[in-house]
Amino acid sequence: MSLFAVSDLTVTARLGKGNETVFAPVLRGVSLTLDRGMVLGIVGESGAGKSMLGRAIADQLPAGFAIASGRMDFARRNILALTPATRRAMLGRDIAFIPQDPIAALNPVRTIFSQLREHFAQLGLPRHQHRARAIEALAEVQLPDPADLLGCFPHQLSGGMCQRVLIAMAFASRPRLIVADEPTAALDAPVQARILELMAALQRRAGTAVLFLTRDLRLATGICDRLAVLYAGAVVEEGGAASVLARPLHPYTRALELASPSPDMRRGLMVLPDHMPGLAALATANGCRFAPRCPVRSAGCAEREIPLIGDDRRVACQYPERTSRIVPSPPPPPFRASAGEVLLQVDGLARRFRVGGLFRRREMSALEDASFTLREGEFLGVVGASGSGKSTLARLIVGLDRPTAGRITLAGADVTRGDAAARQIRRANLQMVFADPASALNPRRRIGSIITQALEAAHRPAVEREAVAAELMRAMGLDSELVARLPGQLSGGQRQRVSIARALAARPRLLVADEIVAGFDVAIQAQLLALLARLRASGIALIFISHDLAVVRHLCDRVVVMQAGRIVEAGETERVFTRPQADYTRELLAAAPPDIGPPAPTLLAIPPPSG
Amino acid sequence: MLRTLAWRVAVALPTLLVVSALIFAALRLLPVDPAVTSLPAGATRAEIATMRHAMGLDRPLPVQYAIWLGRALHGDFGQSIHLHRPVGGLVRDALPATIELAGSAMAIASVLGIGGGLLLFALRGRRLEPALETVITLAMSLPEFLWALLFVFVFGVALNLLPVTGRLAPGLAQPPGTGFLFIDSLRAGRFDVFWSALLHLVMPASALGIAFAAPIARVLRTSLLAVWEQDYMRQARLRGVSETRLLLAHALRNAALPTLPFIGRQFGVLVGGALLVEVIFGDPGIGSLMVDALRHADLPVIQAVGLAYCAAVLAINAAAGTLQLILDPRLRRS
Repeated sequence: MSLFAVSDLTVTARLGKGNETVFAPVLRGVSLTLDRGMVLGIVGESGAGKSMLGRAIADQLPAGFAIASGRMDFARRNILALTPATRRAMLGRDIAFIPQDPIAALNPVRTIFSQLREHFAQLGLPRHQHRARAIEALAEVQLPDPADLLGCFPHQLSGGMCQRVLIAMAFASRPRLIVADEPTAALDAPVQARILELMAALQRRAGTAVLFLTRDLRLATGICDRLAVLYAGAVVEEGGAASVLARPLHPYTRALELASPSPDMRRGLMVLPDHMPGLAALATANGCRFAPRCPVRSAGCAEREIPLIGDDRRVACQYPERTSRIVPSPPPPPFRASAGEVLLQVDGLARRFRVGGLFRRREMSALEDASFTLREGEFLGVVGASGSGKSTLARLIVGLDRPTAGRITLAGADVTRGDAAARQIRRANLQMVFADPASALNPRRRIGSIITQALEAAHRPAVEREAVAAELMRAMGLDSELVARLPGQLSGGQRQRVSIARALAARPRLLVADEIVAGFDVAIQAQLLALLARLRASGIALIFISHDLAVVRHLCDRVVVMQAGRIVEAGETERVFTRPQADYTRELLAAAPPDIGPPAPTLLAIPPPSG
Repeated sequence: MLRTLAWRVAVALPTLLVVSALIFAALRLLPVDPAVTSLPAGATRAEIATMRHAMGLDRPLPVQYAIWLGRALHGDFGQSIHLHRPVGGLVRDALPATIELAGSAMAIASVLGIGGGLLLFALRGRRLEPALETVITLAMSLPEFLWALLFVFVFGVALNLLPVTGRLAPGLAQPPGTGFLFIDSLRAGRFDVFWSALLHLVMPASALGIAFAAPIARVLRTSLLAVWEQDYMRQARLRGVSETRLLLAHALRNAALPTLPFIGRQFGVLVGGALLVEVIFGDPGIGSLMVDALRHADLPVIQAVGLAYCAAVLAINAAAGTLQLILDPRLRRS
């Protein structure tokens, strides 16, 4: 008898009002089982329904969502039949949750201790034991000086430390089931690896079953016993983790694998057309939901409902034998050293801040002695953990901030001082694309007018602006009918393309992109990377800031590695990835989730936390 | 925390200085000659000129200001032209009544506002929400003096439940001491005086507090709605924390952060309303003093009252800022 079993679960969302009400299945006939001590990975893009599964388990579906059918058995009871009060009493006790964004998941105005003891009180621990138990719990997740941490507020801790606190809370009751919803998505790679090791260690020691929700197939393979791949609300493939990645049976699983760049080698990325159906499309969809994007579909795929069949390996595809026919895209051509002229030169750039009040003033350095050159047509990757100075460097280059030392030369002119002349040179030569397109695009402007903002500022005629907008939208793979839409009506991937198109409208020679593919699912990411790679032909130079080594390896000719405000290594991408010189680069490379199913992390080697 | 409060008060002092100069200049620009008003009608030009010289009005404006400021720093705000008493003493005598009124109105407004905000939030999406909305809109759209008149009519005249004028029942005398009725009556053990003062304060304080409570409720509800969607709320709910505890122990304190500065800003409006309400209820506070001074172009009194108003607003804002610091650890310097 399994510990936790979901049988034929269907969750629907109510759309529209009155006579036009339709119910869209956000989860459709989902069946899963989870044994004691087992880790089951639920892999899916955003919108696939994995978070909805977590919320259904917690009895906390958002308004308008309801369980239409199915059952959920936990410890031999159908929990869907229990009263809400009983369900709630199980939370934090029998079933615990580890969240996605640890800093945001702790109450900012309460101390760590006050949040821990609230949980202990709820678990029925007598008051006088709270302090000792809190220190013990924090020590268990390997936080240094746990007694000192008790009085801290969440903003005083790093993301990794906050996540350790939340893990301590989740394991405090020795729950039988833990639902972890992308617990490392917001963390840097080295911290991510340590958090996963910690979770694995605690989970084994306590024999806890874990439902690990993630959109990262490779990450899931590394830590899960079994995987279930979710597409548009339904499980399309399920099986042992290593076997799913080694021999995917569903074309979608294969596509996911082939769409993610690898830190270990440079390879071509599979670009799936379009995106996963949204809520409205789910309401009317029939047959295989993946069929419209499937490279090996047949005419009948979109008509018949396709059940999940099989024993140990289950797949919902009529032609699983075709999946192996999906071959990797040809690797991109090798880079050649650019012979173009030097476009940007940065010498000994530094940015220091004065912190503290009138007294006890001290200097803090965000960037020290950064030097590099960038030639025309070159793609330069800037990698490093958060706080390493990547974004500071970008802000200095584009002139959003002034350096406290050093020189910036752009297109042969000194632009360090950011005066009117320097602004003119920057305007003519560079543009920036920001990480979050939702906040980078004016929500009240139409897409067409957003894209041609630069031309509008230069007083170009409307006819020309419309022509440029149309051309750029075509180049970015955006449907021409979107020109009159508002940013809120677009998907995240579409918005980011609009953001890139806007930057290109000014015909810059240098594009500075700060984490512009980080927030996206691999399929969308592959689309964006393909767009950026295509820009290479136009001779534009790119500074690509990213924490994701695999993406940088895929896209960039050269790379600089940053740590604590300094460039610790710079060179050709292939050389840096294959023969890293700096210790830190080696550490980063080791922490990235490896390409093919590695052995699961063991209890033995747990390095002390630094994040 | 005390150091921060002291720092905030210190920062407010230059503001007070600028305001004093503004008040001084503005009053001197009025077509009112204090020398004329302080002399009996029909005084000769020579008499007026002598008076102007005696009052220092023939000196340049900055010099007059410097002299006034120098004296004010020593607590000497000059002599009332109309009442022929030192201004400092007049303000000091009137201040306790106004502070008691404004303070109790603020307390009523906070209780009603926070309660109303929580209730509005708890009723969101329910059938009773529009009803409460209407009540709050009503409370907000009637100015405090109309509430005051309405109360006087209903509870004072029609029902005859509460006294309508003054701070005490006729025949009762205020015990000597600080000038604050509640403090002095308790110290003197005069509970009859205390009770009478309470009855007299109920209507003016409620009239003032109700108009002020409505916007607090609105702001609190809005910030509660925003806080409710935060990750830490969802995470606490996933730990099985009860809805009541979620609201009171997790959401309220976070939602108070934007609400507090709002209350601070509203305080100026409240004091303005207090002056009007005092006049309606015939309370011998700053409001009555002010109206009297305006009627008689009693410039020294107007000046001093204006300054007292500014000081009160600055002090409340400093207090609200400090409270915010206590509630929000992220604002503290580590």
